[in-house]
Amino acid sequence: MSQEKQNRFLPYLREDRLPHIFCPGCGNGAIINAFLAAMEKAEMDFDNIAMVSGIGCSSRIPGYLKCDSLHTTHGRALSFATGLKTANKDLDVVVFTGDGDAASIGGNHLIHAARRNINLTVICINNNIYGMTGGQISPTSPKGSFGTTAPYGNQDTPFKLAELVAAAGATYSARWTTVQIENLVTSIKDGLKNPGFSFIEVATQCPTYYGRKNKLKTPTAMAAVMKANTVFKSAADRMRPRDLEGKIVVGEFADYTKDEFTESIDKLSVEKSGNRTIINSAYEREL
Amino acid sequence: MYHRIIGDFKLIIIDEDLCKGCHLCLFMCYKNVYAISSEVNKKGVQLPFVKFEERCTKCGTCEIACPDQAITVDLPENWWMKDDNDINFNPNFTKGDK
Repeated sequence: MSQEKQNRFLPYLREDRLPHIFCPGCGNGAIINAFLAAMEKAEMDFDNIAMVSGIGCSSRIPGYLKCDSLHTTHGRALSFATGLKTANKDLDVVVFTGDGDAASIGGNHLIHAARRNINLTVICINNNIYGMTGGQISPTSPKGSFGTTAPYGNQDTPFKLAELVAAAGATYSARWTTVQIENLVTSIKDGLKNPGFSFIEVATQCPTYYGRKNKLKTPTAMAAVMKANTVFKSAADRMRPRDLEGKIVVGEFADYTKDEFTESIDKLSVEKSGNRTIINSAYEREL
Repeated sequence: MYHRIIGDFKLIIIDEDLCKGCHLCLFMCYKNVYAISSEVNKKGVQLPFVKFEERCTKCGTCEIACPDQAITVDLPENWWMKDDNDINFNPNFTKGDK
């Protein structure tokens, strides 16, 4: 084999910024790979993709990819993405958020974007803790887990993000972990192809903060625990709720079609004023 | 990009500059192809290496599961066919009739 043989994902990455900032064993790098593999499977144009991200470890991902990206304020990634998609509906907008970004400070933006059913693909990377700021408890930390702000164990019940978004009206909602990486690739491909709000929650390992506080110091230990605690949705439907405590239910929670936001706005605009709302050039009237 | 490459194996390359030593490739590989080397490199990382190359089925899981894009698996264009003659073979069956 020749020495020029390259990794299949390196052409999409900014090679001058590698190796990236993520800790050893962090799942964010695997999700970059899964997204790029899914994009290749969905046969999308990489130059037509715009990425939006908020603040957090997972929101650093668009900085390593060679596409248009927008690094926005904390929790408001979905608001910026809604504006971007409404202004230019030909773009494929992909949002990378973390659990603190999407569920905590941007919780209302998340459910209202799902209610509007705007054509976005949201990949929510759920590592159960605020990793960037030093290991505080997040809204998705499991009951009984330890963190910097919970030295005696977390007493709150966590959010179930995929079920929440499916109930809010998203047309595609799924949850997978980084261990089931082939299913994740297929799921992101379905989400990219779906004409509507697609939400993919990925449970990842955070060995530096979550693992160190919860006696799972190596990435392999975290991945093994995650694999052992995984229950598929078809099996979880037949289980009692007390058996499902501390388990990660994986699968697709919503998959149907419904009226889409930008299409409805276009239809209304043509009905009332006769032309589409989308003006790609600011000088269209002078031309 | 590749300054030094561990071993002279044909199938799988591990980039020493990108690997951070998380050893998730050992966990994710279904056929246990990888093993951990005993000595550390200058970064203090115990790198994985390909010990049982004959077990590899070219599934490509380690390539996707590696968080640091350090693993490259040499997949030929039509690796599902043994010989290179029939490159027009379509792996997808037509609907209904084969």
